[in-house]
Amino acid sequence: MHIPDGFLDPYWAASTYIASIVFYAVAYKFKRESLGPQKLSLLTTLAAGIFVAQMLNWPLPGGTSLHLVGAALAAILLGPFYGAVAMGLVLLVQCLVFHDGGITALGANVLNMAIVGVLVGYYLYKAVVRAMGASEKSVLLGAFLGGWMSVFAAGVLCGVEIGLSPQFPYGVSVSVPVMGLWHLALGVIEGVITGLVALYIYKRSPSLLQV
Amino acid sequence: MFGFKRAWIVIAVLLLVSPLFGVVLADMVGYHEPLDIVAERLGLNDTSEKVNWTPFFDYTVPGLDPVTGYIVSGVIGVAVILAIGYTARRLWPGH
Repeated sequence: MHIPDGFLDPYWAASTYIASIVFYAVAYKFKRESLGPQKLSLLTTLAAGIFVAQMLNWPLPGGTSLHLVGAALAAILLGPFYGAVAMGLVLLVQCLVFHDGGITALGANVLNMAIVGVLVGYYLYKAVVRAMGASEKSVLLGAFLGGWMSVFAAGVLCGVEIGLSPQFPYGVSVSVPVMGLWHLALGVIEGVITGLVALYIYKRSPSLLQV
Repeated sequence: MFGFKRAWIVIAVLLLVSPLFGVVLADMVGYHEPLDIVAERLGLNDTSEKVNWTPFFDYTVPGLDPVTGYIVSGVIGVAVILAIGYTARRLWPGH
């Protein structure tokens, strides 16, 4: 889902950069938790883990591939702000060191995966755990739905960005259904992995999870 | 920084098996994600190779075969993230 250079027109490239920067500035101001050494270690470890997990591409029947995004997992462990920081760090390193995701599209990739993906994953997970009470069942279900929907939301937004460009007046009618439907299907795998990892962590050290 | 031993063991194992998924299977089956499908239909052009600044383009390392290069790239990426985390920890107010 990493948009490379050349896909976005300048309007979308600039506006997504601005939206991402504004989000981090505002979220920093209103974040509730401070970052202690333990949480900074968790953030760094998680960013490294998500970076490596994203290198594992799974080819699927039908000729489509996917890899883990990890946005919901970051959100569940770190909360919305630091989750977005961890994902932003992964995307920044991928872009600058490996040119995975374009430099002109970094704002969009951050907005899709590090901000919208994290927020959707976080609030969906939180809503399920709140509604059902903290338990193995609610953590598993909340993390599953959070992971699934975070990938779906990021995919749809990605489709909007690359489809709504003046060069391709009808692009969005192609890009949004393709991105939306594929990610609705592929996101189930993200949901299952997010759910199982969250459940494992909840069983071993529940204090690490946002509940 | 290293308080999550089990997680780091998992990261190391994932790094070692990553070329199987990222290089070998991708070469056999072809890596093709939904975004590529959209790009084909809309005729979008990926200009990454024309404007490139990094020697580690697409997880390769100059002079190394793709499999070794993929693992070394992974190690480099993890090292950069760790260095940023370590620096942040040193510079953070109150630490």
